[in-house]
Amino acid sequence: MNESAPTVLVIDDDPSVLKSLARLLRSIEVNVATFASPQEFLDQFEPVIHGCLVLDIAMPNFNGLELQQELAARGNELPVIFLTGHGDIPMSVQAMKQGAIDFLTKPVHDQDLIEAIHAAIETNRMNRRAHDELNEILNKLSLLTPREREVLEHVVSGRLNKQIAADLGTVEKTIKVHRAHLMTKLKVRSLADLVRLAERAGIMSIASNRNDCQT
Amino acid sequence: MTVLWSMLASASLAFALLHLFIWAKGIQPWANLSFAIAAIALAVITAMELIAMRTTSIEQMALILRWVHLPILVLWLAIICFVRCYFDAGRSWLAWLTVGLRAVALILSFSTGQNLFFYRITGLKQVAVWGGETISIAQGPLNPWYVVGPLSTVVLAAFVLDAAFTLWRGETKTGRRRAIVFSSSITFFLLTATGHTALVNAGVINSPYIVGFSFLPIFLAMSYELSCDQLHSLQLSQQLKESETELRLSKQRMRVAARSAELRLWEWDIVRDEICSTDDDQILYGIAEPQKISFDSFLNNLYEEDHERVKLLVEKSLIKGNGHYESEFRIKMPDGQIHWFNSRGRIEFNEDDQPLRMLGVTIDITRRKQAELAVQQQRNELTHLSRVTTLGELSGSLAHELNQPLAAILSNAQAAQRFLARGNTDLAEIQDILKDIVSEDKRAVEVIQRLRLLLKKGEVQHLPVNLNKVVEEVLKIVNSDLMNHNITVNLDLDQKLPAVIGDRVQLQQVLLNLIMNACEAMSHTHAGRRRLFVRTEANGVDKALVSVGDQGPGIPSESLESIFEPFFTTKLQGMGLGLPICRTIVTAHGGQLWATNNTPSGAVFHFKLPTSPGESA
Repeated sequence: MNESAPTVLVIDDDPSVLKSLARLLRSIEVNVATFASPQEFLDQFEPVIHGCLVLDIAMPNFNGLELQQELAARGNELPVIFLTGHGDIPMSVQAMKQGAIDFLTKPVHDQDLIEAIHAAIETNRMNRRAHDELNEILNKLSLLTPREREVLEHVVSGRLNKQIAADLGTVEKTIKVHRAHLMTKLKVRSLADLVRLAERAGIMSIASNRNDCQT
Repeated sequence: MTVLWSMLASASLAFALLHLFIWAKGIQPWANLSFAIAAIALAVITAMELIAMRTTSIEQMALILRWVHLPILVLWLAIICFVRCYFDAGRSWLAWLTVGLRAVALILSFSTGQNLFFYRITGLKQVAVWGGETISIAQGPLNPWYVVGPLSTVVLAAFVLDAAFTLWRGETKTGRRRAIVFSSSITFFLLTATGHTALVNAGVINSPYIVGFSFLPIFLAMSYELSCDQLHSLQLSQQLKESETELRLSKQRMRVAARSAELRLWEWDIVRDEICSTDDDQILYGIAEPQKISFDSFLNNLYEEDHERVKLLVEKSLIKGNGHYESEFRIKMPDGQIHWFNSRGRIEFNEDDQPLRMLGVTIDITRRKQAELAVQQQRNELTHLSRVTTLGELSGSLAHELNQPLAAILSNAQAAQRFLARGNTDLAEIQDILKDIVSEDKRAVEVIQRLRLLLKKGEVQHLPVNLNKVVEEVLKIVNSDLMNHNITVNLDLDQKLPAVIGDRVQLQQVLLNLIMNACEAMSHTHAGRRRLFVRTEANGVDKALVSVGDQGPGIPSESLESIFEPFFTTKLQGMGLGLPICRTIVTAHGGQLWATNNTPSGAVFHFKLPTSPGESA
């Protein structure tokens, strides 16, 4: 891990439960931050934080599911573990559909919670890693000139240099130069790497669509 | 002549006998006796007159005229006695005076001359009267003391008139009639007899003595009066007989009515302290022997718990100006069964407002009481059932209530385990954890106790209850339900609200029902507008008012009353018993429960309970 240690954010309107959960998490040496209500959490929310959320589902004014929706709307991908007093099936289905990691009933057994938290932190880490990689790719892509980007799209569509030159109304040699430049900028060595990168950046589809139209 | 006088004498004797007989029977004995004596005296006088008329010897005439003053004295005494006894009037000095004069006359008759009339009888004049008969009349110089006789007559007449006057003033109709009849007849007799005798003696007129005859009107008057009396008493006795029959009938009717109503009639002689059944055949309170019991032993027969209460009620009823007693009590019958009685009575007081006796009825109400108890029990069961049902609807929220402390306990305990397993333990932390576990455990216990109280099937209590606390407790129970439904509570509690007397659990049930209804009514209200209003306030001096309002659609005005009818429901799963039971509970507490609509929206349920004086909340 090259970042700071993950933090578990616990939100429960019952102060005693909140305190006990915090204690339990500290006993397994996890960083904990507690909030007495979803509103308090949103007020102090820092998008850069990483870790997971432990949410009581039944809270006045703003319940757990609503907070989950709100976070999703803000583009935050913190994984959520729900705690509930009584397992209500429609609620748990909705929670899982909205991407909850787990749905635990109170009183929650420490092992279950710890496992869920580990799983959530792992998910978060994975998410973040994927996120970082994508950012890196997008950064590299932003270095390309518009012409190079155009050439890239044609290359990943599987067209030959000659065909690309004809499409763009230039000579094959120029295409070769552009291709070499963009391979360097994107730090890829083979066509296969280039295709995978383009795919992750979501470039593939556009080109292939056009390709489909043409054939 | 002879015939007439003999008839008069015998008639007088007959009257005398008749009144002697009445006297012997003991009816107005003195009046009748004196009348009888007067009649006898008169008979004697008449007989003497007859003999005097027919005598031919001067000595005999003189003797008769001397002795005649003795029956006259007796007659005087008898008249005085009669007037005193019959009229209850007459001045005694007049009576003594006339009797004295008469006695003097008698003495003079023996001591001066041949008799009081004549100093000496010189001869007998033979006079022919009506019917051709010849009678003898004495002749000779009059005795100078003669005047004593007429004088006594005048005094006697004065005595009689005075008595008559007194009677007249008495202003009763009979009194006045008697006054006139007697005074006139007696005076007439006295004056006629004396005057006539004087004239005969003086030789002015030649006729036989008519003392006997002049007494006739008195006789007639007296007989008339006495007969009237007899008639009157006959009528009275007839009436008495009728009333006795009537009384007997009404007693019988009373007895039949009392028996068919299973009433026992009793009487308490407060002065002698004896309580007894007024119907000999009926046994009071199953107490066979003795039939008369004292108040204390009556109290001792009572069921112990009723002892003081009945005693107080009776004491209260004996206070002047009250006079009415009613109570219900239990008595352990000789067969060991406990019977309920309702007893009521009325107290009679004497002029000094001291209670004399109490008359009353008692009815055995055991069956009614048993039925009442059965109904009460059923109502309690229904109330309990409804409470359980209500709590069943809340089970999810209640589980949450209980889960919270349990969750905290578990996490705390497991955290402690992990801290300990890790080695370098922070003892302060462990201590803190244990403290939290204890307090959370208490919290769980409280939840359970609240529930157990509501689920308990117990006797209805009558204790001071703080309605604010009831509101707070109920809100704790429904807390998570309110939260789940996104309902905010607006609480407005009057901190100076006086306590009410009642059953805490049942009052909690009422509030629980009203609050849950309010929550349900708001299920279609926009989440941000779901507000529950609970308000307590003092209402007047002796009432506490609790209102529960919602922001739901309200109640159609035509249903404002019918919602309290059993089986009226708007809910899919409701039995329609919640509100009727609430109303039953509130009514049993002496209060009222009703609903109104709120402006601009929502319904408000109010209930008003009497507060207990001196018990502040």
